[in-house]
Amino acid sequence: MAAKTTGMPLLATDNISIAAAGRVLVSGLTFSVEGGETLRLSGPSGCGKTTLLRALAQLVDVRVGDLRLGGSSPAELGYPTWRARVSLLQQQPAFHDEPVADALARPFQFATRAGRRYLPDEAVLLLRRLGLAESVLEQHARSLSVGQQQRVALVRGLLVQPAVLLLDEPTSALDDASTTAVVELLQERAAGGLAIIVVTHDLRLNALCDRTLDLSLFACAQAQAR
Amino acid sequence: MNAIPLTPLDLALAAALVLVAGAVSVALRLTLERSLALASVRTVAQLLLVGFVLEWVFDLDRAPLVLALMGVMVVLAGRTAVNRSGRRYPGLYLQSIATLIITGLLTTFVVTGAIVGVDPWYRPQYVIPLLGMILGNSLTGISLTLDHILESLAEGRDVIECDLALGATRWEAAREPVAAAVRRGMIPIINAMMVVGVVSLPGMMTGQILAGANPIEAVKYQIVVMFMLAAATSLGCIGVAMLAFRSLFNARHQLRAERIVRSRGR
Repeated sequence: MAAKTTGMPLLATDNISIAAAGRVLVSGLTFSVEGGETLRLSGPSGCGKTTLLRALAQLVDVRVGDLRLGGSSPAELGYPTWRARVSLLQQQPAFHDEPVADALARPFQFATRAGRRYLPDEAVLLLRRLGLAESVLEQHARSLSVGQQQRVALVRGLLVQPAVLLLDEPTSALDDASTTAVVELLQERAAGGLAIIVVTHDLRLNALCDRTLDLSLFACAQAQAR
Repeated sequence: MNAIPLTPLDLALAAALVLVAGAVSVALRLTLERSLALASVRTVAQLLLVGFVLEWVFDLDRAPLVLALMGVMVVLAGRTAVNRSGRRYPGLYLQSIATLIITGLLTTFVVTGAIVGVDPWYRPQYVIPLLGMILGNSLTGISLTLDHILESLAEGRDVIECDLALGATRWEAAREPVAAAVRRGMIPIINAMMVVGVVSLPGMMTGQILAGANPIEAVKYQIVVMFMLAAATSLGCIGVAMLAFRSLFNARHQLRAERIVRSRGR
């Protein structure tokens, strides 16, 4: 299914630099994604792909440069609101010690989603799409396999309906059938206007990605020298 | 008051009880006798020392000297509370001391000024022992609270950042660990309040009764003391938990777990 992009920059970076543990990893990075577009971030391990996702989600600061979502900076939107609209799913899904149903409902208790309700039927529908039975709702999230946790995390990431979904190796623990289901579901959401930025080494996600940004082209001299 | 004075022979007899425990340790090869002997010697030395110090302190008749002594007690308690915690972050000593200055001194002076009506307000016979009790209980609560919240934020970083990444405010993400840490710090004083008079008779009350005080008067003092300790401990635990929260989450609602380091020797 070909994604239909909106032609309007949704998330844009302007000449940003990112650092981890005091070491600048990437500098002078300018790019944007449109609604409905899927961008793959590539590059060798340690080049800053995960850090860039964390910076786009504003879990860490951008050293220099500017971030905009629909023309607004994180400070203008408010940082929690920014993250409600630019949501990151980390490579290792993390859950509180609670049943899956509570884990899925948790983000709807946040003030940034005031007035929006958790819809259990929609959750069940999405879980089934990804090969998970309804009974998984009663299981404790931490007791699930990593592959099941990745799919539950993805369901939660879709239920909250961000404008941009940041995915860090979302299929690293999934078999072919589950990966295909994930790709089809994400393509549908992209067709509905969701922008996706994905870090992955998984060739099975090729069909999902519209274009690739090679971060090694922006690796700063200091990082390259190491 | 008609307390029966204790002679050195009475103290020696009490020491004989510890010798019995030491003998049992030797017989059963529990290897506790050295620790028991050291603890006994320290008990005698420390209490005699504090007895002489208190004699000197109670003769102090100047507010600045009493306040200075209280300041030293607060600083030592604040440092001890942090040292007992398995983790720390920059600025924690200052925060712990500041918390104890506010909660410890406030509670002490509310009790001595408004409830007991001590005159003059700095009378050391009252303010020093009461502050000592408050600090002893508060530092236990504070160290437990710090230990719990710093472990939660360091070990549970992924879960907290997951909440933040889905749009939680810093308070929404931190509320559960903060509340659990305060509960953890309050457990000792809550337990003490639950069993006081039923399972245990508090040392202060027992001491007053042994010294010849009317039991009802001793009980009234003990009630004041328990409420005072509960108030000071809860305020102390809440205080350090909130300061830790403010120190480890910035205005951009980011968790700064990298600021947390393990204490040396842990």
